[in-house]
Amino acid sequence: MQVVMRQMQTDWFGPLAVTVLAVAIIGTAAPPFLSTLNVQVLLFALATNTLIAFSQMIIIAVGQMNLSVGAIGGLSAIAFAGMMQVWGLPAPFAAVLALGIGIAAGALNGIFIARTGISAFVITLASLSVFKGINSGITRAQPFYGIPETVKAFGNNVMIGPLPWLILPTVLVILGLWFLLNRMPLGRAILAVGGNTHAAELSGISVSFTVVAAHAISGCLAALAGIMLVARLQIGQPSIGDDWLILSFAAPVIGGAVLSGGHVSVAATVLGVAIVAIITQALVLFHIDPYLVQVVLGAMILWAVGVNRWRELRIAKSAKRI
Amino acid sequence: MLAVAAGVTLLAGGVRADDTKAALVPGGPHPYFAAWEQAGKDAVRDFHLSSADYKVPEKWELNAQNQLLESLVSQGYNAFLVFPGDPVGSASTVAELADTGAPVLAIGGCLKDPSMAGFCLGTDVAHSAYLGTQQLIKVMGTGKKRIAHFTGFLVDPNTQLRIDAVKKAAEEAGDEVVQVIADIDAPEPAQEKINAYLAAHANDVDGIVTTAWVPAVVASNALRKIGDKRIKMVAIDHDQVVLQAVKDGFVAGTMLQNPYGQGYIGAFAADKLRNGCTVKADAPWKANALTSHFIDSGTVFVAADKVDTYLEAMQGITKDLLSTFQATYLVCKS
Repeated sequence: MQVVMRQMQTDWFGPLAVTVLAVAIIGTAAPPFLSTLNVQVLLFALATNTLIAFSQMIIIAVGQMNLSVGAIGGLSAIAFAGMMQVWGLPAPFAAVLALGIGIAAGALNGIFIARTGISAFVITLASLSVFKGINSGITRAQPFYGIPETVKAFGNNVMIGPLPWLILPTVLVILGLWFLLNRMPLGRAILAVGGNTHAAELSGISVSFTVVAAHAISGCLAALAGIMLVARLQIGQPSIGDDWLILSFAAPVIGGAVLSGGHVSVAATVLGVAIVAIITQALVLFHIDPYLVQVVLGAMILWAVGVNRWRELRIAKSAKRI
Repeated sequence: MLAVAAGVTLLAGGVRADDTKAALVPGGPHPYFAAWEQAGKDAVRDFHLSSADYKVPEKWELNAQNQLLESLVSQGYNAFLVFPGDPVGSASTVAELADTGAPVLAIGGCLKDPSMAGFCLGTDVAHSAYLGTQQLIKVMGTGKKRIAHFTGFLVDPNTQLRIDAVKKAAEEAGDEVVQVIADIDAPEPAQEKINAYLAAHANDVDGIVTTAWVPAVVASNALRKIGDKRIKMVAIDHDQVVLQAVKDGFVAGTMLQNPYGQGYIGAFAADKLRNGCTVKADAPWKANALTSHFIDSGTVFVAADKVDTYLEAMQGITKDLLSTFQATYLVCKS
């Protein structure tokens, strides 16, 4: 019993309960929801959306926010596609360079924030505009179509059953991020700076380096999401990334992330992404009026966040009683 | 403020009064408008304009477009071809542009009356959606059919016109629109929602009609992946992915719009209006939900047999419209 109670107090328990409940209800009401093809579609969405959520989560962990995740992802995506089409670079080489662009863009954000002391909100708001402007300048709003067949196959084929190849890098990132945040000095430093910058500094952590590193990781994850979306969409759409902002915040927050920093959960964020994806699919499956879709989606995210908060308060109360 | 900027530019001698320096400004970055760039260049060559430049706001935001337009006035542009970022919200900026003495035309999309735009030159979106659905009904064959409609942003007033037109065409044929998925003219939501819908409901639909660019691309790829040619689809626009899907038989055809003609004829008209012509009050204007001064830039259904020659088809429509444009819509001193 105590084990169950302990599990209930974890970040991932609430989102997991919501996910299981949602799958059970939707699967019963609309059996095609659990079809192999639909599970595959869900996994495709999870593969890219999880990386988008992580790119924000790591910044939330350090107690900041990054409004430019979509712009970095979009820039890396069109760089990846453009380098293959225009310069004829092999896909792996183009992918590495695109990841480099993401890391550099993120690191630039971090350097500006660390050096100037200006809030991350303002810096990333400005850099969003810069990165999006470069994207528009390069593409002139025209997609890159010259995506090699191997890349298209990677973005659309499955390994086994409903498991797409795209899920592979995401699983590696999940494991890597968990290891980083729980076992590596840099990860602990990110959480320490997010929890209490002053205390972290006094304990010998380089706040500037930690902030730059967090933003570089965020840029790398956004770039990887952009690259994977190019593979999935089979074209380098200049508008990749335009829609990422809400999701990037919603999933970590549903997963119990503290917006002021210091506390995030990799597993719960993945479940947060799953909840948003399931809600999105359910709205389509149940023929919800298109004018109501945004309202329903917003309301359900609010509800999930509210439940999470309520759980936190209950835990805090019971802890006080003890 | 814009009038002052324009005056300063003229006083500085940057622009001669008979030099038309036109700006073609879409609502934001979107592949649909790319043809405007070539249209502007061709207009400069054919109508001897000083310039006709394609200027794209950095994002789909009314404010970004307004700021760009203001900056273009100060750069000496004196004729504006604008896709209004908002049919009502853009009216005040268009009025400011018109106050500088520059002709302003709404192209690609319309402003809501009353406005200072000379006229609106664009696709009759409702008619195009209606015709596209009729083509779909034709290829689906006889019997009551079920149609899914994938469309664009709900904030775009054209979207509701398209939804209504598709529904009307379906009802007239005794068919049913079983699903409308909107707000998906962006890659990620289109990918997620269209694939989710087809995964669960592929057996529940006989046909798909798309009335926005990105959904057309994503649905074409989705049908190719499923490999089931039972579901018929009529797309919109001329993205390479769509045209290839038409060629390969995964899509029955696509409703082409005429962005090139909008830019080319728009630049021609703007130059005429700068040089003494006026808009003819009693021209055979069409009316749509926004304006009573509408000119249809043309739309054509292209199936597999015509997909290689679609450019010629659109150029033909542009040529026909241009040949009678001045006499039909303008009053010019001879």
